[in-house]
Amino acid sequence: MLFLWPDMLANWIGNEKKKTEGQFLIEVVGLKKVFDNKFEALKAVDFTIEKGDLVCLLGPSGCGKSTILNLIAGLLHPTGGDIRFNGSSVVKTEPKDRNIGFVFQNYALYPHMTVLENVMFPLTVGEKKIKKAEAKQIAETYMRLTNIEELSQKKPGTLSGGQQQRVAITRALVQNPEVLLLDEPLSNLDARLRLKIREEIRRLVKEVGITTIFVTHDQEEALSISDKIILMNEGVIQQNDDPQNLYLEPNNQFVAKFIGNPIINMLPVTIKEGQMMHPVFTIPLARFTDIRFKKPVPDGQYTLGIRPENVLTTTQDALFTTQIKSVELIGRERILNFDLADKHVKSIVTIEEIIEEGAEVAFDFQYKKAFIFDDKGERVY
Amino acid sequence: MFKKNYNPENQPKAWLFLLPSLVIIFLFSVYPLFRSLIMSFQKGTLINQRYAGIENYQKVLTDPVFFKALRNTALFAFTVVPIALILSLAIAWIIFEKVKHKSFFETIFFMPYVTSTIAIGIVFRYFFNGSYGIINYLLSLVGIAPVNWLDNVNMSMTTLIIFGVWTSLAFNIIILLAGMRNIDQEHYKIAKMFGANNWEIFRRITFPQLIPTFAFLLTVNIIAAFKVYTQVYALFGGQPGIAKSATTAVYYIYDKFHIAGRPGIAMAATVILFVIILLVTFVQNKILKKVGE
Repeated sequence: MLFLWPDMLANWIGNEKKKTEGQFLIEVVGLKKVFDNKFEALKAVDFTIEKGDLVCLLGPSGCGKSTILNLIAGLLHPTGGDIRFNGSSVVKTEPKDRNIGFVFQNYALYPHMTVLENVMFPLTVGEKKIKKAEAKQIAETYMRLTNIEELSQKKPGTLSGGQQQRVAITRALVQNPEVLLLDEPLSNLDARLRLKIREEIRRLVKEVGITTIFVTHDQEEALSISDKIILMNEGVIQQNDDPQNLYLEPNNQFVAKFIGNPIINMLPVTIKEGQMMHPVFTIPLARFTDIRFKKPVPDGQYTLGIRPENVLTTTQDALFTTQIKSVELIGRERILNFDLADKHVKSIVTIEEIIEEGAEVAFDFQYKKAFIFDDKGERVY
Repeated sequence: MFKKNYNPENQPKAWLFLLPSLVIIFLFSVYPLFRSLIMSFQKGTLINQRYAGIENYQKVLTDPVFFKALRNTALFAFTVVPIALILSLAIAWIIFEKVKHKSFFETIFFMPYVTSTIAIGIVFRYFFNGSYGIINYLLSLVGIAPVNWLDNVNMSMTTLIIFGVWTSLAFNIIILLAGMRNIDQEHYKIAKMFGANNWEIFRRITFPQLIPTFAFLLTVNIIAAFKVYTQVYALFGGQPGIAKSATTAVYYIYDKFHIAGRPGIAMAATVILFVIILLVTFVQNKILKKVGE
């Protein structure tokens, strides 16, 4: 009997541990939203988010990314589908009971309160409010975490954009929510500050260990800090993947075009009898890597997608030779611009490769890194 | 082509554009101010004035009617202004928070402001009428005996105050609504997300951000209340209440100037009222600044 004790204890602790470690999941199932003006913002969206992940909702304006965020926060009501936190639906739960922290694009700091009062605010209102002294202590703990203690007596109006951002995040964290939602957190900051703050956000949410969802239209921002990216367009998820995969293995033409700067070159081609034909060049399909074909390619119209860094200058076996229309120098890269059958094409070479405007240059493609899309935009290679 | 002495921050041309308003302000505001100051030291009729020293002031300051007028004015100002402000704040908040089609209600509430006080006064005379007025009828429904609103010496100030509150609501509500609309909607959204209830939102977010608007209204209302005249005239059919029981300071001035034909005394009273309003506004601003900190 006595010997059983440690075992039981261990078992019990183990169970407890399992419970707290249980993967916190946000499950979004068949989520739909049609606005009053009949605009269909979301068309049956499904995804899950794992506990502790930093997930980015990325896409152009009007793609539905902010709608998803507002639905998760409870600021909008879905037309269909379900949102589950830890397995239970929250669609009918009020925002205040969803255990979320929300940071608006413009931070929505209270201008008449000091930073400390702003951060304390969530703790001193509502049914769960606590004593002022206690609230102050908790607020100060979080302010140390985000390095804003020295600002505590200032009013938001006197702070820089980056400081305001940190105050807003601290205020969102102070109720110890399970999910942090950030709506375009960096769009109000200048370019240099953005780089700094985005790393800071990542460090912070990883330190707190909070599951974070943020919305952005800036691919670079998304690629640099998120664990997962959900790329949206016109209310549909285009790809839900690791940042690197989005660039290297896009699902379709939209993803390939959206991710990557400068933008990917898209060339309309015809495939016929094992040959890829373009007005300027013809490539035997055998040049492409066999195993990278996802589907058989029947004869027809396709689009060849090739990133600028995979359009290479060559000295032998040129695919085509063309005249360079203009050259841009960006840091350590040289971007060559030219036209192929009325399509503008870019090629990135190193700065050492001295090529001037008007030069005749021979090019080839790096076939194993090219993409081929069918006429529906789906990727076949 | 720039002129030799061109300076983008200081262009004499600006005076040209300011001239029309400066002329009008000088002619109708600044000049009368000094003119009345001079007249307060003169006696006789308007066309035959002689220097009188401080005689006018002595007369005014020993006139019990003037003190009664001042008491009435102060009573009016210090009851109407706070009651009207609190009521308008409550109404504005309800419209802002609870009412759909806000612009419709805004229009409704603004109507009294664009309607002539005289016209409103005539309608209110019917409402307040002792024998067939709707107010007494409504009071009788809840078992309160009819009140002689208009023809009772002891009631005329109460009636005037009720009327004063009603007439100042419109402007206050519109300005407060504008102030509320200026507050970022996201301040409310986020507060609700933190679980704040409506009262907490009002007390901690709306009201503090309305303080500048509130201070402006307080100043404007106090000044307007000290100058009360039209409401008295409209409500009591051109009389300052039964047996002059609702005489106010401006009514006293008007009476001395036009009825009694004593411009000197009227102007002395005017100067005294001017000084009082100046002092009250000054003190009020000091207090508001203290409160603001």
